[in-house]
Amino acid sequence: MSQHILASDGPPAPAPTAPSGFRQLLLGLLVGVGVGVVLIGWLGSAGRGATVRGAERQSGIVHLSALVDLVHEAQAAGEEVGPRVAAYVAASDEVKSARVVDLKARQLVADAGADATTEPLPMRLQRQDPNHKAWYDLGQGLRAAVEANTEEGRLWKEEIDVEPAAGDGMVLAAPLTMDGEVGGVVIVEVAVPAPALSSPWPMALAFLGGALVLFALVGWPLRGRRRVLQWLALAVAVAALAGFTVTMLGLLGADRATAEEAVAAQVAHAQQIFSRGAPELPPADAARWDVDRFRQPRGMIQAGHVDAKHLAEALAPVKARFTKVFGALGLLALLLGAFFGLGGAQRLGHTLVRYREAYLFVLPAMLGMLFLVFFPFLYGITLSFTSQTIYNLDEPIYDIWVGIDNYVDILSDFDLVTRSEGESTWNYQNFYWTLGFTIIWTVTNVTIGVSVGLFLALILNTKGLAFRPLYRVLLILPWAVPNYITALIWKGMFHQQFGVINQVIQIFGGSPVAWFDSPLTSFATVLATNGWLSFPFMMVVSLGALQSIPSDLYEAARVDGASRWQQFRLVTLPSLKPALVPAVILSVVWTFNMFNIIYLVSEGQPGGATEILITDAYKIAFEQYRYGYAAAYATVIFVILLIYGTWQNRVTRASEGV
Amino acid sequence: MSRGKDEFPHWPLHLFLMLMVGVTIYPILWVFTVAFSGQQNLAFVDLPPDPGVLDRLRAILPWPETVTVSNFVSVFSDQPFARWMLNSIVVAAATTVVGVFLACTAGYAFSRFRFPGQRAGLMSFLVSQMFPGVLTLVPLYIIIVQWLGLGSSYIGLILVYSTTAIPFCVWMLKGYFDTIPKELEESALMDGASTLTIFTRIILPLAKPAVAVTALFSFMTAWNEFILALTFLDNERMYTAPVGLRFFVGGFAEQQWGYFAAGSIVAAVPVVVLFMFLQKYLISGLTAGAVKG
Repeated sequence: MSQHILASDGPPAPAPTAPSGFRQLLLGLLVGVGVGVVLIGWLGSAGRGATVRGAERQSGIVHLSALVDLVHEAQAAGEEVGPRVAAYVAASDEVKSARVVDLKARQLVADAGADATTEPLPMRLQRQDPNHKAWYDLGQGLRAAVEANTEEGRLWKEEIDVEPAAGDGMVLAAPLTMDGEVGGVVIVEVAVPAPALSSPWPMALAFLGGALVLFALVGWPLRGRRRVLQWLALAVAVAALAGFTVTMLGLLGADRATAEEAVAAQVAHAQQIFSRGAPELPPADAARWDVDRFRQPRGMIQAGHVDAKHLAEALAPVKARFTKVFGALGLLALLLGAFFGLGGAQRLGHTLVRYREAYLFVLPAMLGMLFLVFFPFLYGITLSFTSQTIYNLDEPIYDIWVGIDNYVDILSDFDLVTRSEGESTWNYQNFYWTLGFTIIWTVTNVTIGVSVGLFLALILNTKGLAFRPLYRVLLILPWAVPNYITALIWKGMFHQQFGVINQVIQIFGGSPVAWFDSPLTSFATVLATNGWLSFPFMMVVSLGALQSIPSDLYEAARVDGASRWQQFRLVTLPSLKPALVPAVILSVVWTFNMFNIIYLVSEGQPGGATEILITDAYKIAFEQYRYGYAAAYATVIFVILLIYGTWQNRVTRASEGV
Repeated sequence: MSRGKDEFPHWPLHLFLMLMVGVTIYPILWVFTVAFSGQQNLAFVDLPPDPGVLDRLRAILPWPETVTVSNFVSVFSDQPFARWMLNSIVVAAATTVVGVFLACTAGYAFSRFRFPGQRAGLMSFLVSQMFPGVLTLVPLYIIIVQWLGLGSSYIGLILVYSTTAIPFCVWMLKGYFDTIPKELEESALMDGASTLTIFTRIILPLAKPAVAVTALFSFMTAWNEFILALTFLDNERMYTAPVGLRFFVGGFAEQQWGYFAAGSIVAAVPVVVLFMFLQKYLISGLTAGAVKG
């Protein structure tokens, strides 16, 4: 109970008895190296798994390419495709099924495997058959990819499709070229047995045990010298983690070599089947089946074996990446170990136990804040340095790390005006346009809110005004209405054909305005909407402040012969300031972040001209699905608000000092 | 202060105030007109091919041609609006319970205990109010929808809503707890009551007004929330009322203004009434420190 404020004079808790430096450091070493090897081993295993899956996919691609060649040759020879594909599938253990679809004739040309159709081939694709539809769509997708790559003159869309199969294995598809263009698709289901991987954990345990034993043996004679022991522990921990890292990298390299050998074996296997199917033809150059997903030769397999130079080249970036990641993990583990080794963890434990009652009360809210406010905040900042989109959610963060590219993209784009054929147009997508618009939007809205609100408050504050409570209630209503409803109401009232506002304009002889077709009128709609809903807040705040001004102040001013204007300037305004300044600050932040009005009323029309920063960030995230870029955009917004807050704070403080 | 000869006559003030009241309540009358018109379109009346000034005046007069409640009936019977209202009620009620629990316990600890990290904790709550919603929206979306798979569920929304309201509620409750005299607790402590007993038997009953305001505030926040719900929910059955109302008039389908108006009235009237009762607490709470849109 000693932490309760009422009992704060209670006896102090006994100081934790410090364990001897040696035991503490041993504990630190155990935690640091233990956590380090577990993290590195775990991530390394993930990397090794990916290597194995890569080899599996590559073997699939080899068989797929062989089948594509088979179909080409059959067509060139004027033979039927179906039997030859079936022969290939029958001869291979790895290829479970194969289909060839002619996209132009919309026919299934070949279908081999366990679940193959019994209908005579070629058969017309059935629209209502989900399989047929999926195959056809797959083919069209690949055709689009190949055409896009040809048009752009660069490789940016993958020309081989890989998807996990329903059971084991995977489904691969490659486009089939007929008469110089993509006219068909070959789809195979492949299951290549994965080689067993040796477990890294005995090795991890050996490094951990070795480190502890080494430290115990060398450290025991030195146990009186704390500083020396600390350096020793650090050296042992670094050595153990480095050793394990090198071991894991070695395993990764060895796995990759084994995997590539397995691919080479599949190449040989495919060549064998291929030649058996067509004994009259010269043996095919099987190495050209070893292509990447853009159908470019990898060159990894030369004369039936893995090319050592190519393998080393391919491994270098992978190893470099893993070295970085392992280094970061190791550092993290070292810090944790130091925390324990130097007694920080023990002290933290004691604090937690001593103040457990207070912490228990704060815990639920703190946990919620940690997981749903602070962690997302930090995660968002991390995302802003990546190229995360909806399409690469599965990729680890270090694979999509782009540094400050997003920020550079946002901030260094000064193409505010596009010039074409002598005409210059504003580039509404530009960050600085949106920033400028947001500032104009905020300033005009706050100005309108403050002036209308203050003016109404001054009127309502008139002594002896009849119906004042009624006016007050009615004028507060816009603030009470949920703002998404307000926004949609005004959207309806600004409707070009049926909206009441255009009806009013027509009464005065005008013609209906297409409100959302020009930036200025579009701005007018959001301004009207936001003005309508934001003045009551200012009015209520001002009214409250006005009513708290003692009337003697006015009496005194009048006695001194002050005019009405002087009374307002010298008595009313200074007394309003303490209430108005926070209200204005608040309303600036509100308006700056007023998502609903922009998003629902103008929707950024025309062409994004009336987008404010946060609606823009939202659209980047949830209409373009560029999460990383949107996170960077949001971080920039946060920094702008932070700068505003600091500046505002300083100005307020300075003016209070005067 | 008597009305001297330099006082204004009041009638121009009334004239101006009435004009402002007109501007203020016209959009509200407009919703009622559309809602009670029994139709889905925006126009109050069908204009003749060559309308005169009188026709046009009729077209802006907020009174439907025929008054009927058919929109209210069919928004509940033909449209899934009842389901959406139920979703909103469940989410808002659960948010209130969770949010009030979190805010009361934390507010009490910050008010009555002295412990390491107390100031840092309170300040971190305040600072978190500065994060713009979108900054955490993308990561929250990835965490809640992609990682936890709580996209179209009550739990996802409840979790997020109750935590976003925490800082404001904690500060408000802490302020109120601070005003409760400590002598009351001292005597209970002498009698050997535990902290938990003091909290539940003494503090909470005394703080009832503040807890009620916090609860209503949490409820209103959850009830009116639009962006998060729009982002998280992709199953039409799980829409909350705001997302559902937008569904009637947004998008590319035929716009159903009658359903929107009727639904808006049903969804908004309770919170408007609540707001009218709560506004004075809100204003003091808002200007005291919270800075969030």
